[in-house]
Amino acid sequence: MKRKLLVISTPLLVLMLGLVAVRPAQSFLPAVEVSGNTVNPDHWATTPVTWRLNPTLSAKVNMSQANARAVIQDSFFTWDGAPNTGPSLDVQGLDSSDTDPTTTLVNLICFVCSNGLNFSSGEGVLAVAVTTVDTSTGVISQGGIFFNPTPTSGVCFVILTSSSTCPVGSDLPQDLQTVATHEIGHFFGLDHSSVVRAVMFPFAPSIQTDLSFDDVAGISSLYPKPAQDVPTGTIQGTVKLNNTGVFGAHVFADSTTAANPYFAVGFVSIRKSPIGTLTLPDGTYSITGVPLDSYIVSAEPLNDPMRSANVGWAGSFGKTIDTGFTTRSH
Amino acid sequence: MKNFLTFFWALALTASLSATTLISVPVERLTQVSTHVLEGRSQSTWSAWNQQHSMIYTYTRFAVGNALKGQAPATVIVKQLGGTVGHTQQRVAGVRYWRPGEEAVLFLRPAEERDGTMVVTGMVQGNFLVSRSAGGVTVTNGSPGTMAYNPAQHQVTEFHGSQMTLAELEARVQKAVRQ
Repeated sequence: MKRKLLVISTPLLVLMLGLVAVRPAQSFLPAVEVSGNTVNPDHWATTPVTWRLNPTLSAKVNMSQANARAVIQDSFFTWDGAPNTGPSLDVQGLDSSDTDPTTTLVNLICFVCSNGLNFSSGEGVLAVAVTTVDTSTGVISQGGIFFNPTPTSGVCFVILTSSSTCPVGSDLPQDLQTVATHEIGHFFGLDHSSVVRAVMFPFAPSIQTDLSFDDVAGISSLYPKPAQDVPTGTIQGTVKLNNTGVFGAHVFADSTTAANPYFAVGFVSIRKSPIGTLTLPDGTYSITGVPLDSYIVSAEPLNDPMRSANVGWAGSFGKTIDTGFTTRSH
Repeated sequence: MKNFLTFFWALALTASLSATTLISVPVERLTQVSTHVLEGRSQSTWSAWNQQHSMIYTYTRFAVGNALKGQAPATVIVKQLGGTVGHTQQRVAGVRYWRPGEEAVLFLRPAEERDGTMVVTGMVQGNFLVSRSAGGVTVTNGSPGTMAYNPAQHQVTEFHGSQMTLAELEARVQKAVRQ
């Protein structure tokens, strides 16, 4: 087999105070709308975003209404309170008695709503998230997260501890906040990340409710804070294979030190992780929101366990992701 | 893939985090909870807001070729969540839309709105796309971006769906109907 040459161009580490965005932010990974040469990341344009929770619980949610409400609030605040984020991201939560998403879809989260969603008992659908986006601008106008009140057996939602159980003994307890934090990342416009330790990675440990560096870079790129809590820069470059740009390569910057600048300024729960992105059709990449530090930059094919099907990147650009190369670091 | 492989062991104990999460349901169960199982060909498709302008649905008209379960009208209109109207797109992972001319085996039940349309049981699970080639006729119900949680094995994987011959699917449905 002919050996293919993969080249990662010298990354340009832009060490500037403040977020440097020389092109639409592509990292970590926002859902995007592509029109010609214009790439618009999905985002909310008005603030505050008001989400509404119907606190009525199904038998599949094994906690009190107060606890369920607190879990959802905490999940939103995890994103809203991220470093370098806001004030364009501000959320407020209200209780809602609405049960009919066909008339009141806007930002409704509920465990018992089914009208118009056509959930059926025993059909194997656990939950559905709906997002409405203007494809010409990327502006999100509404979203909703709906749990099937009568899915087939298998799981229940709890505040997971070592002693958590489900009312039905054969069901497996699943931490609601872990699921909610991830889903709310989608709600704010983030796609799945290829960074394993990120909240937005499509598979997670049993409990993972704290944001990683990758998640912070993502949310703060969509909703930047003018005066950053932690100064960041941008790493840019190009991934080429046989002198042709590679589309959809996962490029990530991994710190070579133990520094955690977010911890140092009081954001004690932010987990250190690589910060990643996927390359554009011409092979270029731009990783924004990178704290000042020393990094190794690697490019790897998006082939397992995270694959093209797990993100909307290929569909947004109407191209097939290139995976015919091996990992290289620089 | 070193970055991934380091953590690959963790996947055995992971949870599904997707915009839509399914638990895989066998064909026999899909048959039981569906009022109709139909083979048909997509004729046309369109998307529209509901009356309250809160949700977009995509409608597809199918010419029915064979009914494996239920009385078969000549055509049915299948309604799915999501779609695009103008510049507005409502996204729902776990839904696969049809292009005109595509063949499918559909596990259906009447929409709860009682508007004369039918909905697919189990989202993409009840939507088998038919592929014809020199090697035979196969069906598959996989969908990109959808995760499946397997409680028995405590594992989460992408929902690849099932692939089998059309004859095998027909036989399994017919057997389930008889039981």
